[in-house]
Amino acid sequence: MDISEAPAVNSRRRGNPVSRILSSIRDGNGFDILLVAAPLVFLVLLAGLPLIYNVLMSFQQVDMFTLGAWIRPFAGFDNYISVISQPEFPLVVRNTIIFVVGSMAGQFVLGFALALFFAQNFPGAATIRGLFLVSWVMPGLVVGAIWSWILAGDFGVLNAILRSLGLIEAAIFWKSDPNFSIWAVTIANIWLGLAFNMLLLSVGLAAIPKELYEAAALDGANAWKRFLTITLPMMRPTIGAVLSLGLIGTLQQFDLFPAITEGGPANSSTVAQYWAWQMSFTLYDFARGATISVMMFVLVLFASILYVRSTRSEVRG
Amino acid sequence: MTRPWTQWVLLAVALAMAAVYLFPLYWMYVTSLKTNSEIFANPPSFWPADPQFAIYPGVWARRSMSTFLWNSTIIAAGVTAVTVILGTGCAYVLARYRNAWVDVGLFCILMLQVLPASVMITPLFVGFNQVGLLGSPRLAVILASAAKAMPFFVVLVRATFMSVPRELEEAALVDGNSRVGAFFTIVLPLARNGILVCAILTFMSAFGEYIYSKSIIQDPRFQPASVGLSGFLGPNSSDWNAIMAYSAIYVTPILAVFVLLQRRIVSGLTSGALK
Repeated sequence: MDISEAPAVNSRRRGNPVSRILSSIRDGNGFDILLVAAPLVFLVLLAGLPLIYNVLMSFQQVDMFTLGAWIRPFAGFDNYISVISQPEFPLVVRNTIIFVVGSMAGQFVLGFALALFFAQNFPGAATIRGLFLVSWVMPGLVVGAIWSWILAGDFGVLNAILRSLGLIEAAIFWKSDPNFSIWAVTIANIWLGLAFNMLLLSVGLAAIPKELYEAAALDGANAWKRFLTITLPMMRPTIGAVLSLGLIGTLQQFDLFPAITEGGPANSSTVAQYWAWQMSFTLYDFARGATISVMMFVLVLFASILYVRSTRSEVRG
Repeated sequence: MTRPWTQWVLLAVALAMAAVYLFPLYWMYVTSLKTNSEIFANPPSFWPADPQFAIYPGVWARRSMSTFLWNSTIIAAGVTAVTVILGTGCAYVLARYRNAWVDVGLFCILMLQVLPASVMITPLFVGFNQVGLLGSPRLAVILASAAKAMPFFVVLVRATFMSVPRELEEAALVDGNSRVGAFFTIVLPLARNGILVCAILTFMSAFGEYIYSKSIIQDPRFQPASVGLSGFLGPNSSDWNAIMAYSAIYVTPILAVFVLLQRRIVSGLTSGALK
């Protein structure tokens, strides 16, 4: 579709170049271009350039003395080799996989279950569902603080509840036991992201025409069959979008780590995004920090392509 | 047909689930009111025996929360202003045209946002250092966070603009309005609600921003409340009632605004915005 013809006619009046540009801004395509160009320049400066700079730094030797320079000694793949040969590298990869897969699975399964539940017709459904969303607007660091206290080993309330239910016998030291520390952060992240998953899935559920269910019920399909043959296929684009946004969101999660475990004990809960930050801001090794981020970018790029493909098949309104 | 009693059962289940889900919030408020010895009681008490309301003014003064919260407000307001001013126009144009270029533009905007903040901060820090922006750290944080918030804002507000009937704008143009005039007098007022909801969400998330502030702002006088909280929070924290009181003071305003505007925010998000 094209814009209406009226402004194009107006802006075709004669005049010197400056007034022509001004009138185009006031009353022509110049207005659109200006509106798009300003934020685009802003984004290129503050998101595009840093991205390129990151890639550049990952191939350079960077130290505190060359921090202010643009041109630095070329290092080839040295930074990449050095990152991969770090003793904690396999551990960080393992933790990142646990954190991403665990968070996404928890958020998605629980979010989907809640979305299906709140799609039932009962009084107050919309209001109560809205209450769940408060977790979404909470600052990550505060969520981390609260969960850090709930998960505390000796005096944490979760251990007390589990013990009184008879599920565990001795206290689990969620934060200081290397076997559990990454799960401590994962549990907090599931809580944090659950509501957003539920919201997106609810929107998808609401878009499925009710007639489909009525027709299936007439044909004698039970609830489980209706779920498998109507809900799941109709929800495919939404599920794709939710999962890829979940991957991007989980890889962005940072605030919970300094609040709950600080990556410890002994890196047993360090994930890639926290590791990259530690490299740069506690070890001042900006080159390796940049290298880890470039590795993550490739992963996120993959998720984004999946996201765009899944939204593409949707009807755009 | 659902019979009435099943509806009440569903409502009860829903309330029970909400109670379980919101338990961490309840625990924050309850813990903040407990005495030092009651915190470490075993088994824990679920209602404070002797509520210590004095902890709120105490933590407020001891942790200089007025400074921290003021900085958080400045940063959040700055991020919201930059995002709304730059993002609204962009969203409007991207909603006005439908072609391959718009798809490419949207994809680029989304791509610029997908990298984690903890990863973007390295080049941003080095870049800010080179142009001398580290001298005014709050401005640096505002610029960095606005770039992070913008893509989400543009995508949501674009959906709002798409729901504004085109015919209204075209009628205004035929009536002799300029493009600028039609935008400000017709389109913008019609999209006001959606923009407002997105602006509030931007403000809320910027109010809790941590990683950029932590990395860029070294001077405690300019740090926001999130960095202030991290100052006494770690794997070995023990003064939990103070931490929870601090958290409660920090999040209660956000929670209050959210609960008050909940219906509007949720309907603003769900009415096509998240397609």
